[in-house]
Amino acid sequence: MSILQKIKNTVRSRSIHVSYVDVGSCNGCDIEVLACLAPRYDIEQYGIYVHNNPREADVLLVIGSVTPQWVDKLRDIWEKIPEPKVAVAIGNCPISGCVYARKGTLTSPPVEKYIPIAAQVPGCPPRPTEILSAILSVAPLIFKDYEEKQP
Amino acid sequence: MKKTVDVSIPLGPMHPCWKEPVRIKCETAGERVLRAEVELGYMKKGIERIMRGRPWQEVMFLAERVCGICSVVHNMVFIEAMEKISDIAVPPRAAYLRVVANELDRVASHILANFSYCYTIEHETLAMYLLNTRETVLDNLERLTGSRINTAYMIPGGVRFDLLPGDAAAMLADLAKVEEEMKRHVRIFETGPLIALRSKGIGYMSREDAIRAHTVGPTARASGVEDCDLRLRHPTYRALGFTQITRTEGDNFARVMVRFQEVFQSIDLIRKCIETLPDGPIRGGGFCKAGETSYAGEAPRGELTYAIKTDDYGRVIDIAIRTPSVMNIEACAHEMIKDAASIADVTSTFISSDPCIACNER
Amino acid sequence: MKFLYEKDLRQMKYTILTSMRHDETVRAIAARLGMSDAKLRMVLIRRFDMSLLENIESRWQMGQQHADDGDPVAAELGCDLFTRFIPLVDRETMQTIYSETTAMTQEMPFEEAVARGKERVREAVLS
Repeated sequence: MSILQKIKNTVRSRSIHVSYVDVGSCNGCDIEVLACLAPRYDIEQYGIYVHNNPREADVLLVIGSVTPQWVDKLRDIWEKIPEPKVAVAIGNCPISGCVYARKGTLTSPPVEKYIPIAAQVPGCPPRPTEILSAILSVAPLIFKDYEEKQP
Repeated sequence: MKKTVDVSIPLGPMHPCWKEPVRIKCETAGERVLRAEVELGYMKKGIERIMRGRPWQEVMFLAERVCGICSVVHNMVFIEAMEKISDIAVPPRAAYLRVVANELDRVASHILANFSYCYTIEHETLAMYLLNTRETVLDNLERLTGSRINTAYMIPGGVRFDLLPGDAAAMLADLAKVEEEMKRHVRIFETGPLIALRSKGIGYMSREDAIRAHTVGPTARASGVEDCDLRLRHPTYRALGFTQITRTEGDNFARVMVRFQEVFQSIDLIRKCIETLPDGPIRGGGFCKAGETSYAGEAPRGELTYAIKTDDYGRVIDIAIRTPSVMNIEACAHEMIKDAASIADVTSTFISSDPCIACNER
Repeated sequence: MKFLYEKDLRQMKYTILTSMRHDETVRAIAARLGMSDAKLRMVLIRRFDMSLLENIESRWQMGQQHADDGDPVAAELGCDLFTRFIPLVDRETMQTIYSETTAMTQEMPFEEAVARGKERVREAVLS
């Protein structure tokens, strides 16, 4: 492993920028992601910074089953995120559509049809601690030795 | 309508200040905003279409997932509408426990709304204080109902879980802590000179505009609309001696302050409920029957109406939900943002009306 | 590189109008204006933004309660109702229609003048 890669690994392990996008849910998962910011869970002590700008993000949290407006736009957002990047599905909606996957719905789950998903956190909604541990366990797997793993 | 428009600035759908996707197109001349247009459709899930033809046991859970922030009140209004159709009586203890759950939810929702506002005007310290206080409130909601967000606490004829005496004492102790913390946060908000600069006199909406757009909830009460709180007509709240809070300024500051004042009022209501909690069963009986009704209740954001038609087996044939955000977002976009002095005020004004896009589009 | 983010919103706007209460409201407005539902829907979809379409039901309700008290001509034409509550006609056009209709009531029977005024309101809505 080169020295440059080592430096990159160290830096990346302590600085993860998170962006979240709601593609049509009940916003219960939205506010659980927000609750991670609270001093009780304190997401920033792990070096995770939550803001809503995909161009600076490393981790994209996808919330919700996909509504008609997002069908083409979700892919655009994914392409704007610089490499290395990872998408995590929060809640039941992006996995299966939850209660919205019934007759008469306007949504078209799952999210995997549109962008590659690395990890899924089921729950309606999942607890903030679960979201936190999902980000913390999936990000190092993808980001460690990223350049060397490239073919 | 020809106007001199320099540039049309879109805000969203992904924006650091929006918690949910919405797009506002602002037509500006210089820095002044002339007109704003709201583009929705990012959260349209078609819940009303899914609900049609399903039994109430399923619709109950769907109704709760119209909105995650105020899920308890959606549950409550739907269940009370079903009870009104089927003439099911609620035991007094259950009615009081419903008020406790609903007010805890209202406190959490108001604190979240004020958190968003403080976050938008970049007062992150106060925002984080508020978010931490909200966690204590959610703990108590979990203590009562067993869940943080989607609780499904109420069922026709009662509630699911009883409040144990030990839990009641712990809840009262927690509420005292929340009240003390909130007093400090309100003092920070009220006396902060920078907050006043960004809040007072901005996003003004007159009483006439508020009535014309049918605004409801704290947004209307901050503009001085009297008698717009449906809790005044709810029998349990009447027994508790509820009075409405009204302010007359009609700007962003008033809207946030109304919410702060209502937090204290809700804490008082919960305390009164727990102290005078009658003994008895928490579940009555009954069958859901055929009928048609329109029932309204007071959500944290305002008046929430369910128009339901059911058949003999308790299936929902037709349903229309009118959420408070429908009116508030529309009034905000067309009355408050119009003639805003700068683009920076658009975000804070929009957040001050406590918009909930998931409610708005269902 | 994609620069155009705008999407055709007509289908989504139509979905909003198919809800139970919204459908009833559109029918009521069409009956009040004396035009067909389909044409009114077309006008609404073209003119209004999505939040106004969502809110059309409560605006119509408040319009029924509060708009146009007093003047019989204004009440028949819906002067306040169709400019401020449901902004289908802009204010200058409505003002000219109103003043001309008031002038016409001096010359011909009230019903006929109002019927002509309503015809002009309908034209203004469709234009």
